[in-house]
Amino acid sequence: MNSRTIQILKGFIISNFFAVGLIGISKYLLSKGGQPTFVFSEFVIIPILMGMICAWFWKDLNLPGRKRALYACLDIFFALTFSYIFLGEGVICLVIVSPLIFGFLMLGVFVGFKLFKRHDENLNVSVIAILIFVFVNDSLSKHNYQNMVSDTITIHAPPAKVWKNVVAFEKIKQENKYWLFRIGMPSPMQTTVTGYYKGAGRKCIFSNGYTFGEKIITYDETHDLTFDIVDQPRDPEIMNHIDILRGQFLLKDNGNGTTTLTGNSWYKLYVFPTWYYDIWAQSITRNVHLRVMEHIKQISEK
Amino acid sequence: MKNKLALFKFVIRYLGFLKAVPLLPYLFDSQLMLWTLFVRPQILDAFDNIESEVLRWQGTGKRLHKYGGMQFDFNGKEIGHIHSNGLLDIRFSRKIKKQLLAEGKVNRHHIFEKSGWISFYIENISDAQYAKQLLRKAYEGLYAN
Repeated sequence: MNSRTIQILKGFIISNFFAVGLIGISKYLLSKGGQPTFVFSEFVIIPILMGMICAWFWKDLNLPGRKRALYACLDIFFALTFSYIFLGEGVICLVIVSPLIFGFLMLGVFVGFKLFKRHDENLNVSVIAILIFVFVNDSLSKHNYQNMVSDTITIHAPPAKVWKNVVAFEKIKQENKYWLFRIGMPSPMQTTVTGYYKGAGRKCIFSNGYTFGEKIITYDETHDLTFDIVDQPRDPEIMNHIDILRGQFLLKDNGNGTTTLTGNSWYKLYVFPTWYYDIWAQSITRNVHLRVMEHIKQISEK
Repeated sequence: MKNKLALFKFVIRYLGFLKAVPLLPYLFDSQLMLWTLFVRPQILDAFDNIESEVLRWQGTGKRLHKYGGMQFDFNGKEIGHIHSNGLLDIRFSRKIKKQLLAEGKVNRHHIFEKSGWISFYIENISDAQYAKQLLRKAYEGLYAN
């Protein structure tokens, strides 16, 4: 093995070990029982530092841009493989996270090359110290983010007919249209209830067999069905990083034989930065809504 | 060119306000690089070719462009920048821009259509030659001033 290959491998190995170490520290600082939180720094600061470590080992290799980008991809591939094996992350989660960490790793590589060319050790140490300070500070900060997604469709049926399909419905047979459902993310399949009253239990069953336990907290017939999620499965594919808190269906009689059905969901995220993950959370929640609501529309309009 | 840059233009036009979010433009540009790496990797070679040429000129340097991409400077003033999808943006005087548009190889800038900025889309390795000519023209303009 020539020295060039050794330097490239050192970049991969040291950057990944460094990342594993920092994530371990972060998990230690954040482990207060309950749901594990993945903070902003784990997806931003760690990839930047990983990129800078790679740049340190690759700085004298005169790598062309194509190889630099390719090696950055490889470094991420190793990081994702470690996450799959040691953190038990699901493949879909890793697909979602990879553009984010690729971006910041590339940024780290670029900054690293620029920084290390100056041969200014004080500057190097200062930049790395600031990044680690931000990381520790972020890991120790409180993280709480909740949001709500709302969707509306019009159903050509009166509220009385729509209502019974809103409370519970038979298996959805329609093919999935949403790409994440198609590649294996669990999608909603069926809903059952123990009764048609406030306080009754409700179950939302997903395609992989996972079941959300729900409790009806508002039962205003033909108007409002609101339910709290009381039991949520812990699935490495997404559900480990989001809590669905509450769901709601609102029905509005349009006075012309049609009903406007509004689906609302409240959720709490355990992954940051939210400017990135909330885009995904909204998209997934919206597609869960639409799959259920389009099914309700279909069976109500029969 | 229109179709190839449709998504890029859509993001710039409708999500451009997000450029104020720290690091987000760099993230977007790195996604462009990832796309380029898998779809048109030879463009990254063209970038290297351009970079090594420009950095040979006296007083030039490179840095990250504030909205993502590689920026070339002459004595701290911008010569031009390349986004990672191959879009080269250069500022000229309006007179030179008019001449270049008449040649038919460049386009109006993807945002500042009425300014002196022009855009040139590097689609293959042979486009690097013209990109370097454009950058040289801008460099000489700055050098003369």
